[in-house]
Amino acid sequence: MLKPLKIIILIIAALILQVTILPAYLSDPFKPNLLIVAVVYIGFKTGDLGAFPAFALGILQDCFSGIYLGLNGFSYLCIYFILNLTADRLFTDNRYLMVFVVFLATLFNGVLNLLLLLLFPPINSIYATILPDLLPQGLVNALFSTLIFSFPAVNALVESK
Amino acid sequence: MWELIKKYKRHIYIGIVLLAAFVFYSLNLKNIEKETLFERVVLNIMSPVNRVISRMNNGVTDIWNDYMALVEVRKENKQLRESVKILNSRLIESHESAIANERLKKLLDLKNSLKAPSLAASVIGEDGSPWFKTIMINRGESDGLKEGMPVIAADGVVGQLVKVVAKSSRVLLITDHASSVAGIIQRSRARGVVKGKGGESCTLDFSLAVEDVKVGDLVITSGIGRIFPKGLNIGEVTMVKKGEYGIFQTVDIRPAVNLSRLEEVLVLLQEPTE
Repeated sequence: MLKPLKIIILIIAALILQVTILPAYLSDPFKPNLLIVAVVYIGFKTGDLGAFPAFALGILQDCFSGIYLGLNGFSYLCIYFILNLTADRLFTDNRYLMVFVVFLATLFNGVLNLLLLLLFPPINSIYATILPDLLPQGLVNALFSTLIFSFPAVNALVESK
Repeated sequence: MWELIKKYKRHIYIGIVLLAAFVFYSLNLKNIEKETLFERVVLNIMSPVNRVISRMNNGVTDIWNDYMALVEVRKENKQLRESVKILNSRLIESHESAIANERLKKLLDLKNSLKAPSLAASVIGEDGSPWFKTIMINRGESDGLKEGMPVIAADGVVGQLVKVVAKSSRVLLITDHASSVAGIIQRSRARGVVKGKGGESCTLDFSLAVEDVKVGDLVITSGIGRIFPKGLNIGEVTMVKKGEYGIFQTVDIRPAVNLSRLEEVLVLLQEPTE
C-alpha cells in the first residue's frame, strides 16, 4: 500500500516540476519529460498490471501538453508494452540500463507522436519542430533520469519489485 | 479456435488495448479545443497547486534577480522597458488609426477595436512538452472565460483560450502548429493567415506572391473570423521568399510578444463566434 502511494507522490512531484518549476529556468528543448521516466519504470517493474497506469500517465501528460488528448496515452502505452515484453530478458535492476532505455523511449515517443500527428490532424509542418528536438530531449531526459535514480529512495523503488 | 486464442492471448490483449487507445485518440481529435471530463478533473485538481508553486517560484527568481544581480540597474531597466513598450504600442495604434481614417470608412459607427472588457491573468504553468506551445493561466470558467476567447499582452497577441476549467485555462500560443490567426500587413494591407511554426516564430500563409511584403513590416490582426479584434499587433516580418513558381510567398514572422517569458496576460471577454 505504501509503495503505490510513494509512486503517486513522486509522479505528482514530477508533474509539478515539469509544468511549473523547471520551465522558469530551462527553455525548450532542454525541459525534461519526467513522466516518461515513470513509464520506463512501470514497463520494467509492474508486469501486466502496468497498462492502465502507463496509459493514465500519457493522458496526464496530454492534459498539460498540446491539445490532443490520447496522443501520449497511446505512445506511452506502446512504450510500456515493448518494455514489458522485453523486461524478462534484461537486468532491470541496473540503473544505467534504465537511463539508456529512458533515452530510447524518448526518441520512440517523439517518432510515434510525429506519426500520429501526421496521420490525422492537418499539421504537416510539425516534423520540423519534433525531429530537431528529439536528440536533445532524449539526452536531457537521460540526464534527469540519472539524477532521479541516484536518490536512495527512488533507487530502492527501482531495485525492488 | 480456443487453443489458438489461448496460445496468443497475450498478443491479442496487447492488440486490443492498443487499438482501444488509438480509437480513443482519434475520437478526441474532433474536440481538440474543448476539455474532456478527465482533463477538467485533472486541471481543477492541479491548478491550485500550480498557482502556489508558481508564486513560490516567482519569489525565488525575484530574490535571485533583485539581490544577487544588480538591484538598481535592474529596476531602472525594467521601468525603461515598460515605458518603451507603452510608447511603441501607442505609436502603432495611432498609425493604424491614421491609416483607417485615410481609407475613409463609410460606416457611421466607427468602433474602437478594443471595446470588449478584459481580464488580467497570470501564467502559472507552461506546456509539458517542447513540441507544443501552450501556457496555463490562473483564470477559468468561474471568472467568465470561455474557449475561443482571445488572449493578448502589452506588446501584442498571445493566443487563444482552449480547455477552460473552473479556476484555470490553457492558452494555445500563436507559435503552436495548431494555431491560426487572420493577419494583415499594416503597411500594404496584404492578407494572410498567421500560423505557428513551433519554436519562437510564425509564418504568414496564403499570402499571394504579388502582394507587397517586406522585411520589417508589422503584421496586425485583420479581424476576420471575429475572434481577435482588428488592429492588434502580432509581430514583425523577418523573412520574405518568393519562389519562381507558385502563387504564394513564404513569409516568416517574429511575434511581438516574448512568449517564452510571459508572466501576465489579458483575456478579452468577448463571446467567441461558433
